[in-house]
Amino acid sequence: MDTASHNISKITSSICPYCGVGCGIGLRVEQGRITGVEPLANHPVSQGKLCTKGWSTAFAVDPIDRITTPLIKENDTFRPASWDEAYQVITEAFSTAIAEKGADALGIIACARATNEDCYAAQKFARAALGTNNVDHCARICHSPSVAGLRQTLGSGAMTNSIDDIEKADLIVIFGCDPTENHSILGGRIIRAKLAGTKLLVVDPRLTRLARMADLHLQLQLGTNIALINGLLQIIFANGWEATEFLSNRCENEEALRAKVAKYPPERVAAITGVPEEKLIAAARMYTEAECALLTYGMGITQYTTGTNNVISISNLALVAGQIGREGTGINPLRGQNNVQGACDMGALPNVFPGYQEVAAPASREKFAASWQQKLPECKGLTSLGMTKGALSGDVRCMLIMGEDPVVTDPDQHHVQQALAALDLLVVVELVMTETAAMADVILPAAAFSEKAGTFTNCERRVQLIQPAIPAPGEAKPDWQILGGLASRLGYNGMNWESAEAIFNEIAALSPLYQGMSYPKLAANYGLQWPCNEAAPNGTPLLHSKQFSRGKGRLIPVSHADPAEMPDEEYPLFFTTTRLHFHYGCGSMTRKSPLLERETPSGVLFINPADAQALAIRPQTRVRISSRRGEVETRTVITDEVPPGTVAMPYHFKEAPSNRLTNNAQDPVTKMPELKACAVRVTNLEDGTK
Amino acid sequence: MKAFLLDDIDQLRDHLASQRSLFTPQYTEGSTELNWLPLTSKTKSVTTERPLLPTYPAKQFFFPDREILFQFDGSDFKETLPEPEPQILFGVRSCDLCAIAYQDRFFRQDPYYQARRRATLLVGIDCNMPCEGGFCPTVDAGPFVRDGLADLVCHQQQDASWLLMVHTPAGEALIQGLELKAAESHHITRRNKQEQQVAARFPSATHIETGIQRINQAQVPAETWQAMGLQCLTCSGCTNLCPTCSCFTSYDRPVADGFERERCWDSCLYDAFQREASGHNPSATAGQRVERFWFHKFSNEYTKTFDRYGCTGCGRCEKTCPGVIGVHSVMKRISATL
Repeated sequence: MDTASHNISKITSSICPYCGVGCGIGLRVEQGRITGVEPLANHPVSQGKLCTKGWSTAFAVDPIDRITTPLIKENDTFRPASWDEAYQVITEAFSTAIAEKGADALGIIACARATNEDCYAAQKFARAALGTNNVDHCARICHSPSVAGLRQTLGSGAMTNSIDDIEKADLIVIFGCDPTENHSILGGRIIRAKLAGTKLLVVDPRLTRLARMADLHLQLQLGTNIALINGLLQIIFANGWEATEFLSNRCENEEALRAKVAKYPPERVAAITGVPEEKLIAAARMYTEAECALLTYGMGITQYTTGTNNVISISNLALVAGQIGREGTGINPLRGQNNVQGACDMGALPNVFPGYQEVAAPASREKFAASWQQKLPECKGLTSLGMTKGALSGDVRCMLIMGEDPVVTDPDQHHVQQALAALDLLVVVELVMTETAAMADVILPAAAFSEKAGTFTNCERRVQLIQPAIPAPGEAKPDWQILGGLASRLGYNGMNWESAEAIFNEIAALSPLYQGMSYPKLAANYGLQWPCNEAAPNGTPLLHSKQFSRGKGRLIPVSHADPAEMPDEEYPLFFTTTRLHFHYGCGSMTRKSPLLERETPSGVLFINPADAQALAIRPQTRVRISSRRGEVETRTVITDEVPPGTVAMPYHFKEAPSNRLTNNAQDPVTKMPELKACAVRVTNLEDGTK
Repeated sequence: MKAFLLDDIDQLRDHLASQRSLFTPQYTEGSTELNWLPLTSKTKSVTTERPLLPTYPAKQFFFPDREILFQFDGSDFKETLPEPEPQILFGVRSCDLCAIAYQDRFFRQDPYYQARRRATLLVGIDCNMPCEGGFCPTVDAGPFVRDGLADLVCHQQQDASWLLMVHTPAGEALIQGLELKAAESHHITRRNKQEQQVAARFPSATHIETGIQRINQAQVPAETWQAMGLQCLTCSGCTNLCPTCSCFTSYDRPVADGFERERCWDSCLYDAFQREASGHNPSATAGQRVERFWFHKFSNEYTKTFDRYGCTGCGRCEKTCPGVIGVHSVMKRISATL
């Protein structure tokens, strides 16, 4: 940093690069460097507020530690290389793999933190340049069950309502998430609504901040969401509290659902969930009596082997109570990354093209083949976890990973490391050296969000513009340019765009959801919510108001099933993973802030006072946590936030990676791993030494 | 004090900008956000319409978000005191000027702050209407600029022409070359009268007055602080935007041949702000930290040192707090207890 002066030269309006809330952020530029941020007072979502991560954004994109040239690994160390040389190494390895095993021997991991334009380029690169549908991203391990579940029941897997609806609801139901920690600005709006008289119902095994403020907290056992919701539905039907007219006009398959939930009387549900019967009845009454009840949920619903069924049961509950299709109601999954909604919208998924157009449908394949001037692969691709599995079996030979760090964030770390080590070539496109990048053969330097143009789509389907505040350092480039250059080397010239805007126009032409959008229109409106088309030129804040995307809302009976691994004599405690307000994902951005880094130790186990006492654990005691997959050592925080019998760890820290412990058992529909529940044993490492 | 009459305030601004680099609140290009930015050919005329306050006060010009304190190359330490270009902050409002005076005292012995401060001349502007959420009259920080807090002060009179008051020799030197008519004593008298009229237009602030009393009489129950602490999401927004907040932390960043020590804004709402190496924390709960923040803003303990409260009534904390514990929310809660 130049020490001569601190003259502000400009402020560039942008969108916060962290969670899916999509807050407005001004990047203050001094001497060609981002030195601070200014919240956007008039932004419709954030209204002049930011969370601690947003406030620390200048550290996240600090030039220190950035990768500024392509790097090639030789003798276990990286050396700088030219783009030509790096492209050459990749092209040779990819071509060899294709020649020997076919294009399905390659896999692309796109990035929920990159722009829509980058993600669109990633899936086009996989499908048109390589010829494989092996493209996926980390929505797999956050909201793939939302996409799969809600598509079956409603026809669309996104948040049905808008963030503004929080202040229009009489009751807010918070299922398996703590928005004040991970989506703080949205969480703050829930606090504001609560102070203004809105009722709060929290369903969570943890005693979260909002649970402490709630009118009613159902503190269910880990992994009993379906039993709980079936129980609520049984109470609703038994008392005639269902929305009769709504059910008969707008839903189908009611009888099958009634038959299923009849098997979940309150006494049985209380026994499974640990929630007293009277609280179940009170919750069913609150939800059906509310004029407008807005339901929001997070990873506590999706990260289970029953993830898709959990989402379906959430949908059943909202449909039976008629709490959907109106302002202040709806089913609102909270998305974890700034652009995880957009990465899904762009078709960075193995089974759909942009706009959720099925790869399996010949008509969509023909449409994209005609536009992209390329024959397209027919068979469904591998998921991210399918690719790591394929790498171990030898079916997948090369992977390109854009800005994700699966070594820290994916379940069963040993398995991930073995898989990546088995590849012929691992290419990582990154800002900084992550645990995954360290395993790469070639690293390509990417431009940060503050150095490129593009769009992010937030959790309420709002597509928002970002613009470059400063140039990218060294030879770093936007992902779409990196992939375009590589596509040309591989003989495909359909990705030589002149600008991010040209890509967006291609997206709008091919995806009906984005059809009516353009950069000038987005700039003039603080973004637009999809679908935006001729019928809805100014976007759609509320989905399903007249009919569901699939026509009738479908009720689908689902059954309770225990998590794949339950506590037993050997591993007597339930283990769950959480996120901290101060950190984000693998920590590659937040951990560059000295304030955020100071706030929490690099690894922590949350344990209930009762369990702590039984193990003679005091605050900051050194412990070993073991599961069937591995062990981690860290220190304890004793808190009643976790219930007796359950311990929790955040997943941000490479020093104490909770994913050495987590279970790779998967949801059969989406391959979502069960990150929220497994069994562990905690050993006090200081016991006996004192 | 000398005073002059001025028809065109833009002419004054341009005249000043011809002598030093000039920063002034203006809309960021393509947006409706009022930010501190350098004057350019695109900068619009001075307006007296709302919003009156830019997102940030002016503190980052003297106490930047991040600043290198020194460098060490393995054998030698290198001083990195700033050598700023002469600059002008044009259009600083009264609340923010009171805050600069407050920080001038806090950072009296801080050479980094002082180097920037000495290179800067301040041009204040009187607020002719209340701003949204502002309550400067209640804490003696406005709406008109206090004598001696700026080098020049501009006041728009009822006929839309301007009164220019000169408070320092440096301010007088700045306006050399402008042909200005001297103002008369009735102009000053009329300004004083007008301040009372503007002050009377502010909404009632009895909750602030009552809250200040309760804080100083230690009448706020711990449970009230704890309830508000539960709402603190530890975002640091209040301390970042507060014009008088001055806490910082420092840390060493490794660079090519050694390290540099940088300091950055800190926030007393963070758990680790006061946590000791042992893990012990004298302010262990969020409620205690929220209480401490407001004690620093409104306690009589600090008026001995600073001659005023640590709050200048700008209301920025209320706008930026996601947890609804900005100044109005807190003072209403406090004044409603008992």
